[in-house]
Amino acid sequence: MLTFLLRKLALLVPTFLGVTIITFALVHLIPGDPVAIMAGERGIDPERHAQLLHELGLDRPIWQQYFDFLWRLLHGDLGRSLVTHNSVFDEFLALFPATLELSICAMVFALVLGIPLGVLAGVKRGSIIDHTVMGTALTGYSMPIFWWGLLLIIFFSGVLGWTPVSGRLSSMFWIETPTGFMLIDTLLSKEPGAFVDAIRHLILPSIVLGTIPLAVIARMTRSSILEVLGEDYIRTARAKGLAPFRVIAVHALRNAMIPVTTVIGLQVGVLFAGAILTETIFSWPGVGKWLIDSVSRRDYPSLQGGILLIATLVMLVNLTVDLLYGLINPRIRHNR
Amino acid sequence: MPLLDIQNLSVAFQTRSGVFSAVTDIHLTLDKGEVLGVVGESGSGKSVTMLAMMGLLPWNAQVTADRFSFDDQDMLSMPEKARRRLTGNDIAMIFQEPTTSLNPSFTIGFQIIEALKIHEGGSRRQRRERAIELLDKVGIPAPAKRLGDYPHQLSGGMNQRVMIAMAIACNPRLLIADEPTTALDVTIQAQILDLLLELQQERGMAMILITHDMGVVAEAAERVAVMYAGQLVETGTAGDVFHHPRHPYTGALLNALPERHPGQGRLPTIPGVVPGIEDRPQGCLFNPRCPHVQEDCRQTRPALESDHSTGSSHDVFKKVRCYHPLVAQEQGEVAP
Repeated sequence: MLTFLLRKLALLVPTFLGVTIITFALVHLIPGDPVAIMAGERGIDPERHAQLLHELGLDRPIWQQYFDFLWRLLHGDLGRSLVTHNSVFDEFLALFPATLELSICAMVFALVLGIPLGVLAGVKRGSIIDHTVMGTALTGYSMPIFWWGLLLIIFFSGVLGWTPVSGRLSSMFWIETPTGFMLIDTLLSKEPGAFVDAIRHLILPSIVLGTIPLAVIARMTRSSILEVLGEDYIRTARAKGLAPFRVIAVHALRNAMIPVTTVIGLQVGVLFAGAILTETIFSWPGVGKWLIDSVSRRDYPSLQGGILLIATLVMLVNLTVDLLYGLINPRIRHNR
Repeated sequence: MPLLDIQNLSVAFQTRSGVFSAVTDIHLTLDKGEVLGVVGESGSGKSVTMLAMMGLLPWNAQVTADRFSFDDQDMLSMPEKARRRLTGNDIAMIFQEPTTSLNPSFTIGFQIIEALKIHEGGSRRQRRERAIELLDKVGIPAPAKRLGDYPHQLSGGMNQRVMIAMAIACNPRLLIADEPTTALDVTIQAQILDLLLELQQERGMAMILITHDMGVVAEAAERVAVMYAGQLVETGTAGDVFHHPRHPYTGALLNALPERHPGQGRLPTIPGVVPGIEDRPQGCLFNPRCPHVQEDCRQTRPALESDHSTGSSHDVFKKVRCYHPLVAQEQGEVAP
């Protein structure tokens, strides 16, 4: 188990280096430079432009800038935003709870619906239920996030007026945010109605962000359940006289969840990618929106730092999933 | 009144391309504490018949019978829930592949205790004690320690012992053993068979032993039913069937036993294969492979009829499905 863990950790190093190269290269491939953007439409005197670039260290060869970035990174320094001059790490940390809260809610939505629907479709294979679930899943998977989000806003916020259009909390509430998680903070604030308001704000973005993972999880659960239901041990379970529900919920599901867990882990990456679009649509003050803003401001350090932190998180989540494997699959636990 | 009484049982499978009958015209009776051997090649319908008894056939199977009763209760008209109370409790089954028949994600203790829990109740502690007792009974060393083991940690023979422990957990009155030793090492086969017979004697269980090993039947069964292509072709007491086979198929099966041809190079075989569910011939199902085939065999299908030519004439169980049963001289060819 320990060697397994060490091997996995060692593999993170080259992955991490690759991520730094890609983020750095991508960020610098965006046309334009921060000085020109800050100067705006009026433009800037070329001499002053060159001077500012020099001050920011952006006139040096690109590889020098990369090694400089890497060197500071190794010292735990992600640099400062070119725009706000705050530490990138601090900015990220302040915004991250909003993204995390949204992502968790989206994932809960995807799991709570996706697994039962997948099981149902698998058990009732070939039925109308199966076709409906799989058809809907395919549609959900193919739906572009920005379009899906706008559709939901138009219908539920616009036509029906059930949910707010954007933000995390209505402006009528003013509460302290010690944790950064709106659901927890509104509960702590004891402000009447604030918690419900926070939930209402979360519903649509969670659905939008959770749709793709939901589709993937439902499909995976279905095929996994189908495979497991043909196994000999399912026949044994039925031969014991167990009720069909118990056969599926206990004997089939536990085994079917093994491949689904991997998929769930992989969806975390999809979730963060989706969060960037979702947060932009719903003006959700999280890391995704911050990254989009940083792109338009050519705020290189914020972009590099933000993407790197997210990539690291995704890597850690996948590592955790690998480790969790052993918990649900005893064969792996003992073979190591 | 027999414990198990089956008259004219048929199983058909509904598929997209039509209805296919897998087994037809099965007549079986079994008294308390009796051992019946069911023999036949792969594809002869042995397992389908047994799964029908357990109610474990897939949903597209249609089971019909003139009479299908266990302990004077009609199994066909019985509600699903009542049926499940019998399954695993009064009628238990063990399967061919012990390693895949146990759920890999649960400990063997969990799997044994589960059977006790749904049928017998009792306290947690009592069930645990009982599970240990059962494991001890089936010859598993250090049973208390083994409770926490997973199936992949045990050998095939040990797993089959666990399956047996699970099957006898609720003191069934009928145990169906579907080729219980086929997947095991030759040395282990004898041990498992002995264990089954010992438990059968001790508990007075009725047992149906499915096998394609004639030697096993000779050793264990009091009565024998020979199946071919979904039909019974011959039934009788073990001694009768072995020494005076009437059906050419039984004769050929016995003739293929290695111990009947000591020191000879090649064993006699039955040319051809069992016809599949879709390509059964006209007339007697065995006619294309039968060495004694005559014209009438190709025209109409013979019925299973009582046969008083050999053995004890009062044996009502002695039946054969053949227009031209083997006579003493031909039997002599196959009997030692």
